[in-house]
Amino acid sequence: MNSLHTNRIVDQGFKYLGILATFSGLVILAVFIFNILWDGLDRIDWDFLMGLPSRSASRAGILTAWSGTAWVLGLTALIAIPLGVAAGIYLEEYGRKNRLATIVEINIANLAGVPSIIYGLLGLEIFVRVMRMGSSLLAGACTLSLLILPVIIVATREALKAVPNSLREASYGMGATKWQTIWYQVLPAASGGILTGVILALSRAIGETAPLIVIGALAYVPFVPKTPMDEFTVLPMQIFNWVSRPQHEFLVNGAAAIIILLAITFCMNGFAVYLRNRWQKRINW
Amino acid sequence: MKQIVAEDVNAYYGENHVLKNINLTIRQNTVTALIGPSGCGKSTFLRTLNRMNDYIDSFRLKGKIEIDGKDIYAKKVKVEELRQKVGIVFQKPNPFPKSIFENVAYGLKIQGTKDKKFINERVERSLRQAALWAEVKDILDKSALSLSGGQQQRLCIARTLAVKPSIILMDEPASALDPLSSAKIEELIGELKEKYTIVIVTHNMQQAARVSDRTAFFYVGELVEYNKTSELFTNPKNKQTENYITGRFG
Amino acid sequence: MAQVELEIQALKDNLLDMIELVENQVSKCRKVIEKKDVRLAKEVIAGETKVNAQELAIDKDCENIIALYNPVAGDLRFVLATIKISNDLERIADNACSLAKFLKKYVAHIDHKLLDQFDIEKMLQTCTVMLNDMHEALKKEDTKLARKVFDKDQTLNAINRKSVKSASTLLKEHPEDHKIILRLFTIVRNLERIGDLTKNIGEEIVFHIEAQVLKHHKPEQSKS
Repeated sequence: MNSLHTNRIVDQGFKYLGILATFSGLVILAVFIFNILWDGLDRIDWDFLMGLPSRSASRAGILTAWSGTAWVLGLTALIAIPLGVAAGIYLEEYGRKNRLATIVEINIANLAGVPSIIYGLLGLEIFVRVMRMGSSLLAGACTLSLLILPVIIVATREALKAVPNSLREASYGMGATKWQTIWYQVLPAASGGILTGVILALSRAIGETAPLIVIGALAYVPFVPKTPMDEFTVLPMQIFNWVSRPQHEFLVNGAAAIIILLAITFCMNGFAVYLRNRWQKRINW
Repeated sequence: MKQIVAEDVNAYYGENHVLKNINLTIRQNTVTALIGPSGCGKSTFLRTLNRMNDYIDSFRLKGKIEIDGKDIYAKKVKVEELRQKVGIVFQKPNPFPKSIFENVAYGLKIQGTKDKKFINERVERSLRQAALWAEVKDILDKSALSLSGGQQQRLCIARTLAVKPSIILMDEPASALDPLSSAKIEELIGELKEKYTIVIVTHNMQQAARVSDRTAFFYVGELVEYNKTSELFTNPKNKQTENYITGRFG
Repeated sequence: MAQVELEIQALKDNLLDMIELVENQVSKCRKVIEKKDVRLAKEVIAGETKVNAQELAIDKDCENIIALYNPVAGDLRFVLATIKISNDLERIADNACSLAKFLKKYVAHIDHKLLDQFDIEKMLQTCTVMLNDMHEALKKEDTKLARKVFDKDQTLNAINRKSVKSASTLLKEHPEDHKIILRLFTIVRNLERIGDLTKNIGEEIVFHIEAQVLKHHKPEQSKS
């Protein structure tokens, strides 16, 4: 009877510990958001969103910053998604499962954890200098692609792994080739998982500043980029720039820009969660 | 007419010798049951008939398997064509997570058939043959996963029928189903036998006795006895067969 | 041991018991004649209910085994054989009982010479041995022993054929005993029937063990 009593206490105790941990996290998040909104919400208006940066805090806008972010995101997506998904498909469906494959798998997972500044240095040497892209959007996008490629590959592989083998068997049993099976059955079934992984990877890319600084994205860019070879800036850089200034007005600008960045990130993540839920409902093995 | 001829078939998973000197002939339009305790090689043998074992890296086959007079393991054989001629239904129903219609039409899609009218007719015909048409004709667009287990299995049979195979392999098709659905599948087998050759692996000996014309008893990779079902179940020639079917072991 | 195995074994034990019971009924009849002991005849008549009860019990067991255990191959053949054997045994016991009823009335004052003319004691002896052989054959699964019953049945058939002649001779010589003579003539026929039924039992035993159907085959063939 005694151990039963102890078990119940441990049970209850763990439950309350969990509640405490959850609430702590939520409370801290709430405080942060409230703080930021308090500081920056008033500053947000049409001029702020569409205005070019300026030495004067009250006239400064984030147009070039968020358009730079949009460009970088778009290009990165264009480069990283096909490469990453294709690599994931190859490694998971076509690759032979031997020791080499295991080593590759481990190393890709490791790459996902490498500090982003290392990617910046890599990008600087290869894209900016050797390939002569200069400090352009293209160089930035290529660098960020390298950064999120491992994440997309791993997410793709996990999504493919989650597709039960009985599905592939059923398709092969019908006389489908490997590619037909992948294209018509496996990929559609894994698409939710892959999409979720891609969006999460992109939302990580959105917030990366260090690699872009290294490859030479500028802090002060008074024009909206028009081609992939143009120089650029991104929202996190603009934010970093403003919050490093002592003047209070720039701090407010920074807070406002942070709100915009948070909004974009929340939207992307929210969309990923929505997609994942829809996908899970459709497929119930 | 001899349709499937297995000659001195030996199969290996790596070092594991899983099928030993199998010699078996199956005639057209018959139902043949493969019985035996777990691990005796009956499922492995079934899968050699449509080369589903190809996907297991360590699998090797020695000997010859001929279907309609052609060696199916010959170098120039197109495996995809073989599998459309020799369909397979698995133990756990595995319909694609698509609509009922798309499930049945899949075989035609991968063949490249585009004619909508043709596809519609073929889908209806296959669903009728699988005794499922009446239940699903109004819900062809619904997800296949919304059907019951027994219906899903009949759907899997329908999609196999859609590509007009001549042989249908069944790997314990009713074992995951409730008794009523299982009985429906048995009834279906009885109807299909007129047009197709069926080879069925089953653990359920009464089912094997009810549906099959001939029965093959496998034990530890060997084909111990192969005879008319009525003979095998009233007067088996081999003591091991008798021990197995009377429940003395395994 | 599988449950079906236990059931089959229990059924076999019951069947062996029934054979023994019926064998005793027949051998007691012979003892009645040998010792002119009416009490034994009464025992045989009383024992009839036990035999009938055994038959019903065995029939019920067979029904259960078929319904519940789906017997196949050897098990199935055994159950089918048992149903028939128990039926044959019941009819043998029936014949023995009617003989006992006759003996109870007449054994005290019947002329022994008449019994000898019809070889009735010999027939009873043969029948007892045949039943004993069947018991052993079933117990030891010995089909060679089971087949021996066919020869012995021939003996009984021969005596039966002879009895027509004996009967007509006796009727001419002792017309005053005509009632007894006709009764004895019928008894010979009944004993020959017991022989036939025991032969059936032999055939069933061979079917159960070897899956060979000997029924309705010519005797020469069945000797193989």
